[in-house]
Amino acid sequence: MLDSGGAAAAAPAEFPAGLRVLLVDDDPTCLMILDRMLRKCLYHVTTCSRAAAALKILREKKGCFDLVLSDVYMPDMDGFKLLEHIGLEMDLPVIMMSSDDHKDVVMKGVTHGACDYIIKPVRMESLKNIWQHVVRKKRNGSKELENSGSLEDNDRQRGGVDEGDNASSACAGSWKSVKRKKEEVKDDDEDDDDEEALEEHEDPSHSKKPRVVWSVDLHQKFVNAVNQLGVDKAVPKKILELMSVVGLTRENVASHLQKYRLYLRRVSMPQHQGRLDSHFASGHDASYDPVSLIDGFDVPGLAVVSQIPPQGRAAIHPGPRSNMNVGISASSVNQFGLIASGIQIANASNMVSSSAQQMNNKRMSNPQTPSNNIQLSQFGQTPSAVQPYGSMNLQFGKGMPNFLTSSSQPSSFSLPSGTMSGQMNVSLTMHQAQHLHQFSLSQQRSNINIPHSSGQVLNNNASHSSRLSSALTLQTSSNESSNHILGQLRVSTSITSLPANYIKSPFSTSRRDLYVDGQSSFVNGLSGSSYPSASGVGVSQQTASFQSFSSNHDLKGKFDNVTAFNTISEHQNRGHEWKLQRVNLPYQTGHIFGLEQSNLLSHSSLMSHHNSAATATNRDNNTGATVKDKITSLTNDINVEKRTSVAQHRNVYIDDNSVRLNYGVSPDMSYQDVYLDDMQNELMSVVAKQVTFEYIYDDYLA
Amino acid sequence: MEYSSLHRQLATMKKSFFDQGFLDEQFFQIEELQDDVSPNFVEEVVTLFFKDSLRLMGNIDHALEKFPQDFDRLDSLIHQLKGSASSIGAAKMKNECTVFRDFCDKENQEGCIRSFQKVKKEHACLRQKLENYFQLLRQVGPVAKATRSGN
Repeated sequence: MLDSGGAAAAAPAEFPAGLRVLLVDDDPTCLMILDRMLRKCLYHVTTCSRAAAALKILREKKGCFDLVLSDVYMPDMDGFKLLEHIGLEMDLPVIMMSSDDHKDVVMKGVTHGACDYIIKPVRMESLKNIWQHVVRKKRNGSKELENSGSLEDNDRQRGGVDEGDNASSACAGSWKSVKRKKEEVKDDDEDDDDEEALEEHEDPSHSKKPRVVWSVDLHQKFVNAVNQLGVDKAVPKKILELMSVVGLTRENVASHLQKYRLYLRRVSMPQHQGRLDSHFASGHDASYDPVSLIDGFDVPGLAVVSQIPPQGRAAIHPGPRSNMNVGISASSVNQFGLIASGIQIANASNMVSSSAQQMNNKRMSNPQTPSNNIQLSQFGQTPSAVQPYGSMNLQFGKGMPNFLTSSSQPSSFSLPSGTMSGQMNVSLTMHQAQHLHQFSLSQQRSNINIPHSSGQVLNNNASHSSRLSSALTLQTSSNESSNHILGQLRVSTSITSLPANYIKSPFSTSRRDLYVDGQSSFVNGLSGSSYPSASGVGVSQQTASFQSFSSNHDLKGKFDNVTAFNTISEHQNRGHEWKLQRVNLPYQTGHIFGLEQSNLLSHSSLMSHHNSAATATNRDNNTGATVKDKITSLTNDINVEKRTSVAQHRNVYIDDNSVRLNYGVSPDMSYQDVYLDDMQNELMSVVAKQVTFEYIYDDYLA
Repeated sequence: MEYSSLHRQLATMKKSFFDQGFLDEQFFQIEELQDDVSPNFVEEVVTLFFKDSLRLMGNIDHALEKFPQDFDRLDSLIHQLKGSASSIGAAKMKNECTVFRDFCDKENQEGCIRSFQKVKKEHACLRQKLENYFQLLRQVGPVAKATRSGN
């Protein structure tokens, strides 16, 4: 169906015509030729000669593109980094191009998540079929839902196709239609206190269904329902029944469940994960190749991850890089440490690289050994040790949880009972410093896996929690990507002991509202207690958010800890100038309010994290401008969200001891300083950016 | 008729480019892109290429002069040039770029300098030929489009 906004040119009536492609290539000749070729295919093309500009466009106009076509060798940013960013933040199919046809480069493309790799010079024939990647991705997204038991595959695909059709219209047009729908939806849900307004996201790659914003309340309900049914046995239909929320569809629940499972899985991953992939939504990452660790990061732990075949991992890290063994073996690191390390890992790619390097090297050879943890332990234990960001997106496979547990700490990481299957993408893409961006990307994708550790932390007393939170925060920060999850993390702990630190970091990433609530709520599931959502007040203060974790003693395996991640990520962000604080807006608070039991929206922390990351990025990268923009947009978003959420929620601020948006840096988080490493900063910034986007991650929406 | 004689001339000229290896089939791809919407596409792209490649070659010259031992840098620069050349089908030039790259891999500075001279030579040569071609094409006028696919 054509967008009512109308396309400038005659909108082709059939998909794939009208496919909206973003073309990125620094060579003007190639750019011109490819542009022409794509137009000949009746695609709608937007060109960019700089990766940074491309990211900016993508971020600003999320949902306006179906596919990205990018060159590998570009002056301002490595194409693989861009690839990662996109994967983490936007989850769009990306096709790489290069005249370099060496196997290792092509492999790199694959491991970083490219849908395809085209050798230049490009021929028309190669471009004619690129639409298949869009469809495939959507289908895979649908399939994931199906696996979780509910999915109307057709709807999705139809929706996807529809989007494709719509693609012919200018973005503005589609935005308009989306907005209209949004209004309609809002009207319907005005009275629904339980649900946030259903926003319709204009996400061409998803169906046009209104996007459900998983508020804290909603997620709490979800988690309760899931717990009631049993994490493994929960099926969307039953969950939906138990939740009895008006306007929620089985599909919404299905996709959320999928994400949740991923989240759980991630959480159960060893602390190494550093990459807090708390990002619940790694869902669509099904294809995410855990192996795509950031180069340089050799996450031996990953080997453990079901998804990453050892050799695969090795492949990912071509020789020199493998130094990052971040994370996965975090198990050895005590929980807190892990978290911290996780964060660190995430954050300090640099850091990790050096230390990880050795570790990784070792690891690589022995992927399965818990020695991986060793590395983490180095990092983890002390916040300062923060692991290099490295981009460890540890995706915990089911097996992963062991990592955490095996850690020296009695980490109570109770890995979720295998819910995380699959999604645990350990995207440990640990990049060496130079790949910070990538790292962050992958991290994001992989969802901050810290959850696991955080869970444990929660079990500990409050003090732990605070540590945890800080750790998480760190993680969060490091895992920019994981921030997704973090944002969502709601640490549900019975939080009595939770110090007021729970920071309800507002979800600065307004976009991610969804995430914020939903994600963190995963954590809730377990105990049903209110989770202190350590909303990691974004940016700077990560510390607070985690506090809530401590209360989650129940977290056995439940990832309330996820929230923790948020905190961590936030923390991480702190290292950089995160001024996200402003971002963290109260929006999160709003969410928090909704929580019945002091659920801290960890997302907020994430949010802030993102923001901060963004800020950090600014500082460090030349992409600062972009980041700033992002932050601004985020801020705006958050504000909007805030308003919305506040309106919706009563201002129930979680009891003081639970949630408190604490933007300040908590003492625990001192290790954040660790991240000040340049690389880290860069990474962080990248991550932050990503995290931010992660929130907005559309994939969350069914 | 003059028209068809020009036509033939064009066709012959173009054929020689291919036969002599100056252009390869990627050039056909470019021609395919020309249509009513972009009637001068081929010429535009080629012009753009020659202009941009001058810039790239300048960078390489500069690098050879200032950082002659920095083979990574040289490799990266020549990669760009090669990619650009291959995108319009400049076969000979592309091949010379490959030779240059090999010398970079072997860290053979002398070889790099020599092969780069060849790259520049091929560049100039192709440029001249294509300029002639387009000049003729313009003379033939819109009808010339029909000759594109011929050959």
